[in-house]
Amino acid sequence: MPIISAHHLVKDFVRPKRHSGRFAALRTLLTSESVTTRAVDDITLSIDEGEIVGYLGPNGAGKSTTIKMLSGILTPTSGEVEVCGVVPWEQRTTNALNIGVVFGQRSQLWWDLPLTESLALIGKMYRMEEGKYRANLDMLVELLEMQSFLGTPVRQLSLGQRMRGDLAAAVLYEPPVLFLDEPTVGLDVVAKERIRSFIEQINAERRTTVLLTTHDLGDVERLCQRLIIIDHGRLLFDGATNDLKRRYAPHRLLDIVTAPDGEGSLGAFIDALPADFALEHHDGMGATFAVNPDVIALPDAIAIISSRVPIIDLGVREPALEGIIREIYETREVMA
Amino acid sequence: MKHTLTLCGQMALASIRGQMQYRFSFIIGVLGGMFFQGLGIVMIWAILETFTSLGSWGLAEIALLYGLRLTAHGLYLVFFSSLYAIDDFVREGQYDRLLVRPVHPLLQLMFTDFRITVLGDLIGGIAILVAALSRIDIEWSAAHVMLITGAILGGAMLDGAFQILPASLTFRFVESWPARVVFDDVFSRYGNYPTDIFGGIGSRVLTFLVPVAFVAWLPAAILLQKETFLPSWTGWLTLPVGIVCMSVAITVFMRASRGYQSSGS
Repeated sequence: MPIISAHHLVKDFVRPKRHSGRFAALRTLLTSESVTTRAVDDITLSIDEGEIVGYLGPNGAGKSTTIKMLSGILTPTSGEVEVCGVVPWEQRTTNALNIGVVFGQRSQLWWDLPLTESLALIGKMYRMEEGKYRANLDMLVELLEMQSFLGTPVRQLSLGQRMRGDLAAAVLYEPPVLFLDEPTVGLDVVAKERIRSFIEQINAERRTTVLLTTHDLGDVERLCQRLIIIDHGRLLFDGATNDLKRRYAPHRLLDIVTAPDGEGSLGAFIDALPADFALEHHDGMGATFAVNPDVIALPDAIAIISSRVPIIDLGVREPALEGIIREIYETREVMA
Repeated sequence: MKHTLTLCGQMALASIRGQMQYRFSFIIGVLGGMFFQGLGIVMIWAILETFTSLGSWGLAEIALLYGLRLTAHGLYLVFFSSLYAIDDFVREGQYDRLLVRPVHPLLQLMFTDFRITVLGDLIGGIAILVAALSRIDIEWSAAHVMLITGAILGGAMLDGAFQILPASLTFRFVESWPARVVFDDVFSRYGNYPTDIFGGIGSRVLTFLVPVAFVAWLPAAILLQKETFLPSWTGWLTLPVGIVCMSVAITVFMRASRGYQSSGS
């Protein structure tokens, strides 16, 4: 029984047609023509309780639009959605009790109020008991290290602090579902790490289901066992992160460094490269080869190189997710 | 219900505490409101200095009308002045925030941006109303107190309804302030005078189409025992008419909000 499900979800945005040329403004005003853009085009997905799913796609792919339909902000043009058994835009209030939402680009907090007051108001809005509220607040203040800026008005917080405040506000009332729209955007590495480990912890302790959009594949590598990739509003991939790697980049990367006198033999090896090796990178005494373990076992590949080239250092890497995703965005190939 | 009321109070208090950081704007807002509304009555006084009466209404009677309407308007402002921000809320996608909370979005809009600065208008209204009542010889009864209270509450609701109604256009056209200004103008321009001085058609429009007449004129006519073109009991209808208009306006607003398009990202 999935906790989030969407069937053939479609969202069109309709705007009056803009004219150009003579009397453009007047014609735009009086026009009855309209332009329809399809932001989300027939998306079907289902997410089970306790999953952390990365929702990826290039800018304008329809990620935020999907999240806004799942959280009850937008009404879809067609299709069905259920989140915790509730249709979000029809039973908005009930839905609001079940979900926590963070938009990285825009705070959900009260701009002029100290963070504590924002959190207190949210506690009241969600009818939290005093004891529960205190306990959760103390836990969040500690986990997110918010003690030092609890009394600061939200508008004076740094981006990292504000994001932590927003996350605290979103999980304070223990919603079973969390929608995070770019929760690490613009943050430094330390702040990103803090947020990632927090998401991980909440998911582990409360079995909170998390749907997360991001452009930072570090978030995905760290948190998401499953990925959904969309582009132009259409589903490109839905499956395990490891599956994506296996399917799109089954090879491993071998980094080698030769002994000082090995430059010549490395050059010779590269000039007559065995069929199972692909050269990724070469500079003087170092080189990187891609080999597919399904074709040639890694120890064999290493044995072949070391028999021909004097090696002093060797490393084996998995291809980075970033390269795979870049390739998918660039080719925009449907493969679901 | 009780929970919602407490919550609204807490949101309003929090919002007021937030605004107190901007003390200058608060003081200017309150004084400005009182000054602006004071000028309005000076204007009417100047007119009556020249013409002695409007229709069959003398200065104190007009002041009663003016005070009733201004108190209602001040009360409306206290609760609904954040409606002025609806265009920005929708254009910038801030309305998103109201939709993911388990409280009616209109209540959140009203109370999380609760503008205490408009108190000046309310204080000005009450001052004029009290001054007018002390100059007029009316008999004080529980019924009359109810009539005045009902007129103020109903009048505030009418003001609110005819701002919420045009505000619902925001979801489709993004900018709705011209429509809101039109209604605000109709209420403040025509509400302060006996409706029947605007002629047969004019006064019908101001009664049945945009029910400005119910805000102050019809209830004041009962207090002052004046004749109107309607039976005198209609002066009691301000509150019911206000409630009906408000319910319709909220329904229309919520229906229209389904067309909300949010903003990019």
